[in-house]
Amino acid sequence: MFLVFILAGMLFSCQKKEKVNILKIGLPEEPKSLNVWLGTDTNSRKILSQIYQPLFTRDPKTLEIIPWLAKENPVFDKEKLTYTVKLREAKWSDGSEFTSEDVLFTKKIFFDFKIPRHYSQWKAIKKLVTIDKHTLVFYLEKPSAIFLSRVLTAPIVSKKEWGKIAADALKSEKPLRYLQNHSPEKHLGTGPFTLFEYRKGAYLHMKRNPHFFGTGKTIANHLLGPYVDSLLFKIYGTNDIAMLALKKGDIDMYWWDIQPGYIKDLKNDSNIQLFFNKKSALYYMGFNLRKPPFNDKALRQAIATAIDKEFILTRILQNYGTPMHSIVPSGNIFWSNPNVRKYGEGLIPYSHIKEAYKILKDAGYTWEIEPWDVAGNIVEAKGLKLPSGILMDKFVILTPPADYDPKRAFSGVMIQEWLRKLGMQAFARPMAFNSLLETVKGKHNFDAFILGYGGLNLDPDYLRTFFLSENDKPNGWNMSGYKNPFFDKLAQQQKSIVDDKERRKVIWEMQKILMEDVPYIPLYNPHIIEAVSKKEFKGWVEQVNGIGSIWSLCVVKPKN
Amino acid sequence: MAKNHYLERFQKGWKIFILNPLGKTGIILLIIFMLMAISSFFIPLLDPMYDPMTGIDPLIKESMPPSFQHWLGTDNVGRDLFAQLMEGAKVAFIVGLASAFVSIVLGTIIGMISGYVGGITDRILMRAADIIMIMPSLVVLLILASLFGQFNIWIIVFIIAIMRWPAVSRVIRSQALSLKSRPFIEASKVAGASDIRIIFRHILPNVLPLAFLYMTFRVTSAILVEAALSFLGFGDPSQVSWGMMLQWVWKSGHMFQAPYWLLPPGICISLLTLSFYLLGRAMDEVLDPRLRKEEERK
Repeated sequence: MFLVFILAGMLFSCQKKEKVNILKIGLPEEPKSLNVWLGTDTNSRKILSQIYQPLFTRDPKTLEIIPWLAKENPVFDKEKLTYTVKLREAKWSDGSEFTSEDVLFTKKIFFDFKIPRHYSQWKAIKKLVTIDKHTLVFYLEKPSAIFLSRVLTAPIVSKKEWGKIAADALKSEKPLRYLQNHSPEKHLGTGPFTLFEYRKGAYLHMKRNPHFFGTGKTIANHLLGPYVDSLLFKIYGTNDIAMLALKKGDIDMYWWDIQPGYIKDLKNDSNIQLFFNKKSALYYMGFNLRKPPFNDKALRQAIATAIDKEFILTRILQNYGTPMHSIVPSGNIFWSNPNVRKYGEGLIPYSHIKEAYKILKDAGYTWEIEPWDVAGNIVEAKGLKLPSGILMDKFVILTPPADYDPKRAFSGVMIQEWLRKLGMQAFARPMAFNSLLETVKGKHNFDAFILGYGGLNLDPDYLRTFFLSENDKPNGWNMSGYKNPFFDKLAQQQKSIVDDKERRKVIWEMQKILMEDVPYIPLYNPHIIEAVSKKEFKGWVEQVNGIGSIWSLCVVKPKN
Repeated sequence: MAKNHYLERFQKGWKIFILNPLGKTGIILLIIFMLMAISSFFIPLLDPMYDPMTGIDPLIKESMPPSFQHWLGTDNVGRDLFAQLMEGAKVAFIVGLASAFVSIVLGTIIGMISGYVGGITDRILMRAADIIMIMPSLVVLLILASLFGQFNIWIIVFIIAIMRWPAVSRVIRSQALSLKSRPFIEASKVAGASDIRIIFRHILPNVLPLAFLYMTFRVTSAILVEAALSFLGFGDPSQVSWGMMLQWVWKSGHMFQAPYWLLPPGICISLLTLSFYLLGRAMDEVLDPRLRKEEERK
C-alpha cells in the first residue's frame, strides 16, 4: 500500500514536471516597488513591463513605433491637429474588457496626480475624446514630434484596479504620495504575464496571462506566445553567484549586463550562450558651467581633447563598446550627427596632452612648470594658471562607486591622471549613487562628474531636456547649467516639426553646437553583454539594449 | 643612569622576545613586508609602466597571467600586479601603523587621565569609551562613507583611530589606577609635583610597554578594516591597496578567472596581520606581570 502511494506520488510529480515550463531568470537586485507609479528603477520595470502595456511600442528590429494595444497606426489630421487611435480587442488579466475608457482613465491619473515622467509628455494633449469602446481621438495644442514615441508609449492601467484608490488618493493631503504608497494586491494588466507570488528577498513568481491579446498573433514578425507557463525571478546580490547559478543551470537567464571579465570563462561553457548588443546609452563627463573655471569653453575643450577615448574603449570596456563623439549615440543612425567636432580622435596617447596643451595656451592659460620642456620632452606639469593669472584650484570629478559601475569609476580615475599631466589638480571621487545625483542634480554643488543614461530614448528630444536653459533648476535635467539662447530656440523649434527629415536638420545643428560648447563630453557607449543557458530554452530576441525584453519573454520556447 | 636602565630592560625583553618562536616568525614576516613596502618606491622608477596606478603596458589589453615582464601578471587594464602588491604593502603599513599610533596616543592619554584624576572626569571619559567601544567600526565607516561619499586614505586612518582607542584606554586606566596608589606616586605628590608632571613623568613610562603591546593588535585590526572597506567599494579609489586590488578583481569579473590576481593580496593581508599578531603575542610574554615582578625585585 505504502509503495503504491510512493509510486503514485512519483508518477504524479513526473507528470507535473513535464507539463509546467518555468523560465528561471536571475535579477541583480530586488525590484524597488511593484507599484507602477513608483517602481521606475530598472528591476521594477522588468517586472511591471510584463504586466502594464502601452498603446504603441518599438519593433525590436527596425525600432519603428508599431501598434501594440492599438490596432493600427494612428490617423493624423493635420488641420485639426488630432490623432485617432483604434484599440485592439483585448482583455485585462481578470477577463474584463479593455476599452477606451481605460485610456481615458490613465490620462486622468497622469493629469490629476502630475505623474513624474508621463505628465510632462502628456500635457501636450489638449483633449482626449472617446468615440466608441475602441476608438479615441487625441487633440493636441500644437504639432508634436514626440507624440508617438513619448506619449503613446506610456503604460495604460485599468480603471477597475486603480479607480477607487485614485479617488481616495485625491482626497488625501498628498495625493501622489498616497497613490505611490499603495501596494497593489492584484495587478490588472494586459501583458503576457501576471504576478502570482512575491516573496521579498527570495523570489518572484509570474504566471502566463491567459487573456494576453498577443497570443497567437504575429506582431513585428514574431509569432507571440508566451510559450512558457511561468517566470520565476530569483534575486542574486552579486554577479559571481549569478554566473555560477547560470553555469549550474539554476537559472536560464541572467537579466543584467555582465562584465567583460566573465566572457572568457563563459565562452568555454558549451551550455552558455552569450549575446552582444548595442545599447542606446550615453556615458559622459559633465561640468558645472555655473562657476569658474569650467564656465570657460576653452578649458572644457582642452579636457575633451586630453581624454583618450580609445584607451577607455580598449582597456576599460575591453573593446565591448563604441567611443562617443556626439550626445546622440552613433548607433542611432538617423538622428546622430556624424560631422560634429570630434575631440582627440585618431591621436596617439601623448599627443592628446600636447593638443590639449595647445588649446589652453592659445586661450591664455599659463603654467608654473609647463608639461613640455624646451627639448619637447614630457615633464610633470605644475600650477596651471587661468587666463586671469589665478592658480586653478583643485577640483573633484564625481563618479558612481566601482561596485555600482566599475567602468565609470575607473574612467574617472584615468581622466584624473590625464588631467594631472596637464597640471590640473583633478581628483576622481566615487560617491554613492543617490548622493551623487543629489549633489549634481539637486544642489548643483560640484565641479565635474561622470554619469550616464543607460536607457536613452531613441527619440533625440532629450537634447532639449538636458540642455534647455529653463531646465537649469534644482532637480532639473540641465545638470551642467548650460545656457545658450540660440540652442534654446532650436530645441523648442524641433519639438513641433512633424516631418522627420526637416527635424533632423535642427537636431544635427543642436549636436554641432553642443560639441563646440562641450557642456558634456560624451565618452563611450558600452555594448550590453548578456548570458543565457542553452539547456532548456531557445529563441531569444536580440535588439538594441539586449535580449532582456517583453519580446524575448513572449517568444522564448522550451527546447523539447 | 635612566637611559642605561631602559637599555638594560630592552635588552632583557628582546632576549625573551627573540627566543620565542612566535616572535621570531612575526619579525621575519614583518621584515619581508617592510622590504616589499620599501621596494614599492623603486619599482615605478624602472619604467613608467610599472606605476601601480597609472602604469599601463601598451602591449597588453586584457588580464594576463604571470610572465617574465610581469611577475604576477597584469590586471584587465594592463597594470602590473606585482607593482600593485608592493604598493599595497606600503599602504597597509601606513594605514596600520598610523591609525594604531593615533589610537594608542589617544587611548593612553585618556586612560591615564581617567585613572589618575578619577571622579566625574573618569566617569565621563569611560562612558564615552563605552559608547564608542560598542559601535562596530566597519559598519560605522560604511555608513559614514555612504553618507559622505568616498573618503581619502587619511580620513579612513583617522576614523579607524577614533573608533579604536577605548579598549586601550580601559587597560591603561586600570594600570594607572594601580600605579596611583603606589608609594612613589605618593612621594612625588608630597614633593610637590603637579598632576601633569606625575602623569607624564611617572605614570606614562610605566604604562608605555602595555601601550606598545596594544598597538600591535590595533595595527592588525586597522589593516583588516581598511581592506574590508576597500573591498566593499568604499576605499580611496585613487590609492592602490590590497583591499582595492581585491575589489578590482571582483568587480571586473575576474574573481574565478584570475587566481594570480585574486590570491596574492588575500594572502598578503592574512600574513601581515598574522605577523603583527605574532609580534603582539611574543610581546605579551615579555610583559607578563610575573616576569616584571622578578625584575623589579632585582
